[in-house]
Amino acid sequence: MPAVRADKLYKIFGRRPTRAVELLADGRHRDEITSLNVTAAVIDVSFEVEPGEIFVVMGLSGSGKSTLIRMLNGLLPHTSGSVEIEGTDITKLGKSELRKLRSEKVSMVFQHFALFPHRSVLDNAAYGLEVRGVARDERDAKAREALAMVGLDGWEHKVPGQLSGGMQQRVGLARALAADTDIILMDEAFSALDPLIRRDMQTQLLELQASLGKTIIFITHDLNEAMRLGHRICVLRDGRVAQIGTAEEILNDPANDYVANFVEDVDRTRVLTASSVMEAPIPVVDPGQGPRAALRTMRDNQTPSAFVVRRDRTLVGAVNENAIGEAVRDNVKALDGLVDSLERVTPDTPVAEMFAQAAESSYPLAVVDDEERLVGVIPRGTLLAALATPNGDDNETGEEPSRGEVGESGTTDDTAGTAEQPHEDAAQSQPDPGGDAQATEGSRQ
Amino acid sequence: MSPVSYAVPVPRIPVGESFDSAINWLRINFEVVFDFIGMVIQICVDNLFSLLAETSATQFTLAAAGVVGVGLLARKRYAPTLIAVAIWAGFYVAELSAGLAASVIASLPAPLFVWAMNLFGSSYVYPPLVLALLLFAALVALSFIVTRDRGQQIIAAASAASLLAVLALHFIVGVQLSLIVGALLAVLAYFIAGWGVALFSVLGFLLIISMESWSNAMSSLALILVATLVAVAVSVPIGVLAAQSRKVSTVIKPVLDFMQTLPAFVYLLPAIAFFSIGTVPGVIATVIFSMPPGVRLTELGIRQVDKELVEAGEAFGAPDFQILRRIQIPLALATIMAGINQIIMLSLSMVVIAGMVGAGGLGNDVYTGIAQGDVPVGFEGGIAVVILAIFLDRLTGAVTRFSPAARAQRASA
Ligand SMILES: Nc1ncnc2c1ncn2[C@@H]1O[C@H](COP(=O)(O)OP(=O)(O)OP(=O)(O)O)[C@@H](O)[C@H]1O
Ligand SMILES: [Mg+2]
Repeated sequence: MPAVRADKLYKIFGRRPTRAVELLADGRHRDEITSLNVTAAVIDVSFEVEPGEIFVVMGLSGSGKSTLIRMLNGLLPHTSGSVEIEGTDITKLGKSELRKLRSEKVSMVFQHFALFPHRSVLDNAAYGLEVRGVARDERDAKAREALAMVGLDGWEHKVPGQLSGGMQQRVGLARALAADTDIILMDEAFSALDPLIRRDMQTQLLELQASLGKTIIFITHDLNEAMRLGHRICVLRDGRVAQIGTAEEILNDPANDYVANFVEDVDRTRVLTASSVMEAPIPVVDPGQGPRAALRTMRDNQTPSAFVVRRDRTLVGAVNENAIGEAVRDNVKALDGLVDSLERVTPDTPVAEMFAQAAESSYPLAVVDDEERLVGVIPRGTLLAALATPNGDDNETGEEPSRGEVGESGTTDDTAGTAEQPHEDAAQSQPDPGGDAQATEGSRQ
Repeated sequence: MSPVSYAVPVPRIPVGESFDSAINWLRINFEVVFDFIGMVIQICVDNLFSLLAETSATQFTLAAAGVVGVGLLARKRYAPTLIAVAIWAGFYVAELSAGLAASVIASLPAPLFVWAMNLFGSSYVYPPLVLALLLFAALVALSFIVTRDRGQQIIAAASAASLLAVLALHFIVGVQLSLIVGALLAVLAYFIAGWGVALFSVLGFLLIISMESWSNAMSSLALILVATLVAVAVSVPIGVLAAQSRKVSTVIKPVLDFMQTLPAFVYLLPAIAFFSIGTVPGVIATVIFSMPPGVRLTELGIRQVDKELVEAGEAFGAPDFQILRRIQIPLALATIMAGINQIIMLSLSMVVIAGMVGAGGLGNDVYTGIAQGDVPVGFEGGIAVVILAIFLDRLTGAVTRFSPAARAQRASA
């Protein structure tokens, strides 16, 4: 069951919303119905957010982000469609049920913090529990815990006015965390902070999310922030959904020109990760093979080097043509001593952080997982190609959803669609490293 | 041949007459209601006046008990304090209605009270005073038993000491009440508004006493305080409603304009019609005249509270009333207090007009001055009004300091 589900959701401000919904459902743009004297803020928005996912809604000013997020907890009544929170259609709830749902299931963090200036930091953090009627001692204890989580222990008895902007927003976050709801809505929560603090807060949010597993719906107009935080991103344009997908999908496979223009300026090196630009490791040799077999493998593949990988796919290093050629001439029987070590990166490493490593070695970068198994390689050329816009060189950057957890948390159909393809490509052009090792082994005799 | 006349006949609309008949109709049909309101107001003003100008030993004792009790409540000792007060109130009501306390006291060993009675030179036991003394003693005892708070113990000890001093000074030494009450008001000013205002009050009150206007000043003060209380009790809720609903706000606005601009003298006509001559029509006219800024500033204050804060309350599931009480009102308090301050100032400016309908007090002095061309009397009354005005203004202005919002602002400044 999705944590949050919006289905054909509309919000029309103005007097005659029904007629407007009909026209908009026919596909008209919201500027075409200005004669009805209505503002269509959210038009035909559908999505599902899985438990534990960070779902980012992104769009320019006026695209309806705030309106959308306020419909998710019923702060704004919807015009048509439905919103389900953990399976309950909240558009059918009465006032008091809605209040109960808000206090127990959905909390919120605000752009301008919205801390109560007349209450201490502790009382601010404890607010959600206070509303719920939790006894003083218990709620104070929980609020302290939440404040400690965001690194504000020792500040409990200050008032918000005594804190810097970044700290105030931490209190805002602590207030949402202390309320202990599974879902947290964040409306441009970091937009009022300066860039460095903002990065800190993003990091902290990612850490908290990883440890607490909250479902977070995060609103931003900053693409880089969206790319950094979002497991999936929903791009809104004039109230409609332009695209929903992972950061890589939106970068590399924009659904339309609008999204393409939107992502043009993004710092691709920070968004793209090793896993989204890596290539299949070709060719590989087994450390048990001799130089002669290794040389043949390299010749067959017309490459100047080969990767040395054990049978369980753990990476040993790489060998190059020249050294192997000499070894063959000198009649050396084993590869020992000929293997050079490789610069290693993990699949999550952003492209921006790989340039220095790439410069250190003449070999491609090796992408290894937690157990040191080789999952891909990144030649220098690929690294540079990743910086170019996606148009035209789609094939060079093999796309694979970079974050494993996104794939698992059941994304929409289009995610699955694009995610599958590069796999198949790789499989066709080259069997997986294990099989490859078998093949080369066979050619040994 | 007379020249052709172009005068257009405009029919006369009986505006004044219809008001008059409406007033008559109301008076006849709702006489009971008006009588009741009038009686309540009269009782309040009389009691307040007697508290300020003819303070009895019982009232002094109760005032001291009030100080200690508020201290206890502020330190969250609700249960014991309220129990003590409830017991006292029970006995007090019983005494008033059946003389019960007298019989209880009579059954207690007499020496217990005799020393206290001797203090005032009275040989008999006056039950309300004994009850008040018992309440006071109980609260002081509570201060030392249930709290280990130094501040509270100091408050209790200090009020006991000052109560003894006041009783001794007045009832044994024979110092005038006016000096004692003036000094107590100055002490109050010191704690709320600081020593500057306290000094001013001492000098101002001495001036009033030397002008022999003390009793009149206290009578006016009683009238103003009752009028303010009523005006606040009516205007703040209306202001809250107007802030919540645009409809109420649009309906209320012209009514407020009407109330504020209709010459104040005109209020006196219906006020006299409903409540006849005396203090009550004075209070009513004052309430109507002074209410509008209370409504307006309350509405403004609540509307000014950051919308995102109200939304935050809603987002965490707080009911509307809780948002009002815990978020909107505390944050609007400074503005609301400014409204209350305006109410008090306008009430003071009504004092003279109230004096015209026989409300007595300083207004009477001024009115006499005007009517008889008696400049000294008129001026003295006027100056006393000014002194009261400044005293009340500084006091209400300073009360805002104690609101949580103001405290937070000071802390972050
Ligand atoms: N209460 C309202 N009444 C009428 N129109 C509204 C109301 N609230 C929002 N709108 C309109 O709805 C549209 C979407 O507004 P919304 O605040 O959701 O945008 P946003 O994406 O959050 O923008 P921003 O980034 O500036 O916060 C805007 O055109 C706005 O004018
Ligand atoms: Mg917004």
